[in-house]
Amino acid sequence: MDTRFYLMCYRFEALVASQLPPEQFGSYMAVGTRKRTSGRVMFFEIDAERIDRSYFPVEAVQAHEDGSPRKSQYLSVYRVMEHIPLDAFGKLHLVTQDGLTLGLDGAPAPNDPEEQAHMYVELCPVGPRVVSELGPAAFAKFMTDPENALHFPRLFFADQLIEREADGSLASYLPYRDHAHILDCIEDLGRPGKKSKTVDRLPPLVAFYRTIKTGFYVGDPTGCRLYRFPSADRLDDELHRWWRSAQLG
Amino acid sequence: MNGIHTLFAALSPLFTLGQAERPPLPVWWWLTPVCSVAALVVAWAFYRSIIQRSEGQDAMREIAKAVREGAYAYLRRQYVVVALFFVVVAALLAWLAFGLGVQNQIVPFAFLTGGFFSALAGFFGMKTATSASARTAQGASESLNNGLTISFRGGAVMGLCVVGLALLCISLWFAYLYLVHHRVFGGGRPLALEEIAMVMLGMGLGASSMALFARVGGGIFTKAADVGADLVGKVEAGIPEDDPRNPATIADNVGDNVGDVAGMGADLFESYMGSILATGVLGTAAAVAAGLGGAEVFAYLAAPMLLAGVGIVLSIVGMMLVRTREDADMRQLMHALDRGIYAAAAMTLVAAAGLCWLLGLGWGVWGAIVVGVVIGIVIGKATEYYTAAEYGPTKLIAKAAESGHGPLIINGIAQGLLSAWVPILVIALGMAAAFGLSGGFREGGLLFGLYGVGIAAVGMLSTLGITLATDAYGPIADNAGGIAEMAGLGKQVRDRTDALDSLGNTTAAIGKGFAIGSAALTALALVAAYVEEVRVGLHREAAAAYAVTDATGAAGYEVASLGYGKYALYVPGGDDDPMRFTVSAFAGAGDEAVVIADPDSGEPVSIVVNQVGDGLAGMALTDAAGQSITGVAKAGLADYMARYNVTLMNPKTIIGVFMGVMLVFVFSALTMNAVGRSAGEMVEEVRRQFKQFPGIMDRTQKPDYARCVLISTRAAQKEMVLPSVLALAAPLAVGLVLGVAGVLGLLIGGLCCGFAMAVFMANSGGAWDNAKKLIETGAHGGKGSDAHKAAVVGDTVGDPFKDTSGPSLNILIKLMSMVSIVFAGLVVVYAPVVGQWLGIN
Repeated sequence: MDTRFYLMCYRFEALVASQLPPEQFGSYMAVGTRKRTSGRVMFFEIDAERIDRSYFPVEAVQAHEDGSPRKSQYLSVYRVMEHIPLDAFGKLHLVTQDGLTLGLDGAPAPNDPEEQAHMYVELCPVGPRVVSELGPAAFAKFMTDPENALHFPRLFFADQLIEREADGSLASYLPYRDHAHILDCIEDLGRPGKKSKTVDRLPPLVAFYRTIKTGFYVGDPTGCRLYRFPSADRLDDELHRWWRSAQLG
Repeated sequence: MNGIHTLFAALSPLFTLGQAERPPLPVWWWLTPVCSVAALVVAWAFYRSIIQRSEGQDAMREIAKAVREGAYAYLRRQYVVVALFFVVVAALLAWLAFGLGVQNQIVPFAFLTGGFFSALAGFFGMKTATSASARTAQGASESLNNGLTISFRGGAVMGLCVVGLALLCISLWFAYLYLVHHRVFGGGRPLALEEIAMVMLGMGLGASSMALFARVGGGIFTKAADVGADLVGKVEAGIPEDDPRNPATIADNVGDNVGDVAGMGADLFESYMGSILATGVLGTAAAVAAGLGGAEVFAYLAAPMLLAGVGIVLSIVGMMLVRTREDADMRQLMHALDRGIYAAAAMTLVAAAGLCWLLGLGWGVWGAIVVGVVIGIVIGKATEYYTAAEYGPTKLIAKAAESGHGPLIINGIAQGLLSAWVPILVIALGMAAAFGLSGGFREGGLLFGLYGVGIAAVGMLSTLGITLATDAYGPIADNAGGIAEMAGLGKQVRDRTDALDSLGNTTAAIGKGFAIGSAALTALALVAAYVEEVRVGLHREAAAAYAVTDATGAAGYEVASLGYGKYALYVPGGDDDPMRFTVSAFAGAGDEAVVIADPDSGEPVSIVVNQVGDGLAGMALTDAAGQSITGVAKAGLADYMARYNVTLMNPKTIIGVFMGVMLVFVFSALTMNAVGRSAGEMVEEVRRQFKQFPGIMDRTQKPDYARCVLISTRAAQKEMVLPSVLALAAPLAVGLVLGVAGVLGLLIGGLCCGFAMAVFMANSGGAWDNAKKLIETGAHGGKGSDAHKAAVVGDTVGDPFKDTSGPSLNILIKLMSMVSIVFAGLVVVYAPVVGQWLGIN
């Protein structure tokens, strides 16, 4: 059995070795086997060849004595993502709270769209929700820029929908708690020099997958990769089972 | 003495009709059994057309089989419990009839057949519904029209079985009692029409009892499974609805059938049968009291049956009109169903006009029928307004969800309470209109007015075949959606089954309003029929007392004082039939001895006989002390009200009203608690399975669906006992302690409070459900949002509201009347005795 390496990046940060394929690993991490837990999980497949082995004790794991695969062996926790180079990031897997997994392929992020405001939820290593006038790639660059007093070595985040109604209010289907506050924050972006504004320091990710606009991004000063979220039609048709489950929470 | 004989010979039309040379049944009456058989033939044809369709791929067949087996397992267990109950009650009725002589000896058998036919309708409906679900999903994979046709025909089988079997049961009993019974058991004397009408009400008790078990048991089953499945599945395990990993998901699907198909069917079977029977009783009483001839009395008795028969045929015609375009949207789908319903209703009204003309009932009766149909439509539309997501009330509830659980609950309760005004006002105005149009406000027209109310109920239910079809169609479409989901069918199929399901939700809400409205009108007719049964009870007591007197050697015109102001006189010439040759009378308190003068000879005679018909009209018959005494048969409703002091100033009446209100609340609480406890058992079971079979979540192990079905079944059977016993025993207990005045108070209190409460519960529950569905379409944050979480709580609270307690109240208000009617004889005889013991006479 092959050993695979997974970077857990939501809700905790860890590098895990496992003999399970991604779908089974996702199910295991979300709902367990006997503990009957449930919870949303996100993780990347990691190319172990590109990891700094002097930092991580990366080695193959052994199956259990009864021959069953080793489900998880934690190799490192806390400040893990910053030590994994961008080119080691493989597929991103989104796991629903009942353990259904959707794999997304990454690609270099395209040029930023010309929009006045964006909303991002940061997922790793920190988790605030912010609005910004910067497009995703620019936002990633800005947040990981060593020139900034406050920056991260690497950032995993997603852009979220802020669709407006004709009267300027946020669309009613958006499950955010305080629409008015989000609009106030967007309004604040108009102030000189204000590139981004924190909306919520630790937002509850209610109906999270339903709020994704373009997809998930992981970026650092060397670049930014986009894991594009499937279209609504595809979600409703080909990925129906996962999407039904994803909409629950 | 000869004068008595002369007068007795001029008895009421009852007795005239009771002669051996009774005319044969009119040809037009035979339309009734023919129409009922036609319903069953069409139901059979629909069933055949359904099962000839494919059930689709293996996964679909497997799921459908599990649901079918679960439904059968539930029915088997329920029928065992119900059979035991029926044996016990039939034995009790037999004891009352054969032992105490306070009940007609045919009633125990009528009771059994009423229950049997209701159970049969439920069985056929369930069998078809559980066979139609997978076929609907498969049909939807071919075209929307196929899906609609199969699911609607599945519902139509239930609708047609209910009306067909109910009317067949009534027809067979009527034909037997009219043509055969006296030749076999009746000593050659045909039963009077009034007797036939009253005896057949025994069927109503059977149907009511069956409905009680089907509605309460089904309601508890379905919500135990639904709430249990949701709490562990959605909330704890985070798995979506209709997910095959949820052990309770099959029980949930079974529940849709046992609650919304068998339960609703039994409820409306009871209303349908009860309204026809009660109206027949009222019509006979009205015609007899008015001194109409035998043919007219027959017309009033048979008109409800014939109207129901005509309604069946026109419902079938309406069913043929239900079809839609392939690219139909929700509005067009609804239009397809509406076209069938409204066409059937319009044609029935035209046919009813012809029927009223043919039978000589007058345009007032037709007006009452129109009123009944309009009441049904208005209540249905009001229910739709207060529960459908397209309208303001439900939108307000959904909006309140943004503010959290509390505001959502408050708003849902408020909207439910508010929604009661339309049905209450409509029933009140409709009752007044039907009463007035039938001549109720004219002098001496009280019974005709009540007949109008009864025939309005029959009019409302005349197209039950198609209205129930649109109602029973809902769970079939719902199950089809579940099967499509569980079997992983494609988007197009899911979209189609979703459309059919959405339509089913709307029709289900309308159907609930219809069921409540018809229950209210039927219960009102039954309350009026109760007084007629009191009349029969008094007479039966007199007849039984004469038999006792005769055994001791007394004979001739001797009066028998029955005590408590009741009298009996045996008239020689009919030793084989005390019922026919006994004259009964009652008097005000204090009349202990009765001596009157024979109007011809002037000699003293020891009884009052002014009940025997027109020949005695105007006679001032008084006892020696000069006090008036009223003959039982001749007495009008007002006489009975006076006799039993049924006034709002009588504490017994008021206490009865309070008891009725209390029963509604306690009954609702018991059924809701039953759901809570049963759901708790289900939650434990689902948790246990997730724990013991960890592979369920990753689909490497299969849940034990049957175990969850068994738990729901057991819980339903266990939990329905207490509310059922309460509903059955309370009228009897109140009757024995508080007498007729108390019973009438109980029935009126229960009817008014139960009706309002049922509307409130059904509409609150329906509105919470649709508010959740509205949010799931994307409003107020959509699925998974905080508003949605609040709406899920509202839906969970509303589930037992709309599917258990609310519908069960329909049964309660009718069942209390039925129990009171059937046990009226017992109350008439023993309530004064109990009252004397308690010192409250």
